[in-house]
Amino acid sequence: MAQPPVVQIRKLTKIYRQGEINVTALNDVSLDIAASEYLTLMGPSGSGKSTLLHIIAGIDRPTRGQCQVQGVDVTALSESALADWRNRNVGFVFQTFNLIPVLTAYENVELPLLLTGLSGRLRRKQVQSALEMVGLADRAKHLPRQLSGGQEQRVAIARALVTDPNLIVADEPTGNLDSQSAQDVLGILQSLSKSAAKTVIMVTHDPKAAAFGSRTVHLEKGELTNGSPA
Amino acid sequence: MTIGSFILKNALRNKRRALLSVLSVAVSLFLLVTLLVALREMTVPAEDVRAAQRIAVRHRVSLANLLPARQLSVIQRIPGVAGVTPFTYYGGKYKNEEIPSFAQFAMDPLQMTNIFGEAKVASEQLAAWYKDRRSCIVGKLTMERYKFKLGDTLPMTSMLWPCDLEFKIVGVYEGTPDDRNVMFHHKYLDEASGNTGMVGTWWVRANSLEEVPLVVERINKAFANTSAEVLAETERAFVMSFVSMWGNIKVFIGTICSVVVFTLVLVSASTMSMAIRERFRELAVLKALGFQRRELFAFILAESFGLAMTGAIIGVGGAWALYTHANINQLTNGFFIVAEVTPRIMGMAFIVAAGLGIISSLLPSLAVARTTVVEGLRTLD
Repeated sequence: MAQPPVVQIRKLTKIYRQGEINVTALNDVSLDIAASEYLTLMGPSGSGKSTLLHIIAGIDRPTRGQCQVQGVDVTALSESALADWRNRNVGFVFQTFNLIPVLTAYENVELPLLLTGLSGRLRRKQVQSALEMVGLADRAKHLPRQLSGGQEQRVAIARALVTDPNLIVADEPTGNLDSQSAQDVLGILQSLSKSAAKTVIMVTHDPKAAAFGSRTVHLEKGELTNGSPA
Repeated sequence: MTIGSFILKNALRNKRRALLSVLSVAVSLFLLVTLLVALREMTVPAEDVRAAQRIAVRHRVSLANLLPARQLSVIQRIPGVAGVTPFTYYGGKYKNEEIPSFAQFAMDPLQMTNIFGEAKVASEQLAAWYKDRRSCIVGKLTMERYKFKLGDTLPMTSMLWPCDLEFKIVGVYEGTPDDRNVMFHHKYLDEASGNTGMVGTWWVRANSLEEVPLVVERINKAFANTSAEVLAETERAFVMSFVSMWGNIKVFIGTICSVVVFTLVLVSASTMSMAIRERFRELAVLKALGFQRRELFAFILAESFGLAMTGAIIGVGGAWALYTHANINQLTNGFFIVAEVTPRIMGMAFIVAAGLGIISSLLPSLAVARTTVVEGLRTLD
């Protein structure tokens, strides 16, 4: 029997108000994403791919439509419940890494765990394991400014993984990296999907990066241009 | 890492700014404490049961008008009066000083311990003073300041009386609210000034605290409609009226205190807003990671409160250490004898600091709460 999709999006519409003008970022988008899938969202700037990613990750709300992630309608959750839900279920990887500059690599990775109530010993274990997974256990005490761009992004991936979420969302994770670092990061995301059974959704402009995914969805002017929901 | 160490790292991320913020709070609170201490020293006379029993009697028109010495016997007969002494300001300059740097009062030496019971004078010194009409006793602070010794002579030139006097120091007193004065025989002043039959004020002690209002009323009534009507009032009221001669110092200093606090709030709020504005993107990331608005508010509040309190500890603690251990009399050239940083003043300063910490965190917290994760992530570093 086929597994139900991890992400189920139905008739999702997002309209922004910019001064006097309404801008439709997403228009009636419906999409299913299966468990362990490595989905890449492609499209030109302003096509709505980041907006779609933000709504799936629970950091933005649609104007209309439904977005269920692992059976939870994230559009119906309160602000506070949504924050809890994100902490437990979503790992974020941003284009500009967004590490806290005053914290070491170890502390940056530990940050989401401060909300979980885990003991210090368990936190240490999980942080070590996440840093080992991205190959940066030996850089644990380095501050972000002491790391290369690729290393910073790998720390960000470790931070996204440390709470063991099922969903990893990555918004142009290779946009600020050289080609070798980009390959490394994309390889890690791919292995998370293949070996760790994580669902990875990645926004990218780069067809080479998109090639790492198991499926690519194109968006243009807020609408899907290739295919049905699944 | 703990939440506490995370807050500390954030607060100290820009060490120079944190240091300057702490110092601005510290210096302002030091100033605030100094003003409050000065205000207290100027407006609140030392409270003591004996002091509370004392009544000052002066001419109703003004302190500059003298009173007839014949009033003494009338006051002595008033029920409730335990003792009375003439108390006349001589206004003498010591040697070549341009203005009087310590006060000299002519009084009845036999009433010294009766009226000013808190004054501690060795009995043999007191006896020597009683005996010698030209002798005087000097407050301990003035003795120390001028390095006077028993037996020294004090040549004084009055700015008020048409006679120069020379006192022989036979004793030292201490333990009064103002241990800077020189007390000498009123008879010496009478003789030297040609027996004018006038005194500056009367200083009276009532039998008990309860009788003070009655004695005040009786004295005022006794001289009503005479050629020298008097104004009798408690020592505290008398000192307060002195203060009021300088203008409304309380309002003046209070206004400066308000300006200090207001400026401090503006500076701290702006510093805190700046510090948080720079971290909007990071705070958005924290929100994305699952931190709630209330947790972010707690971070900002703790940081702001921590900086304000550190400043308070340095500023208020510094003021306490300075005013407790330094020789304030020497430091202020005799203007203040002591400067006591009372628990009430310290409490007020810490309350100001706490309020400062809270108020400074409100606007940035509100801005962070209003900003969505997506808006925050779009903020440029």
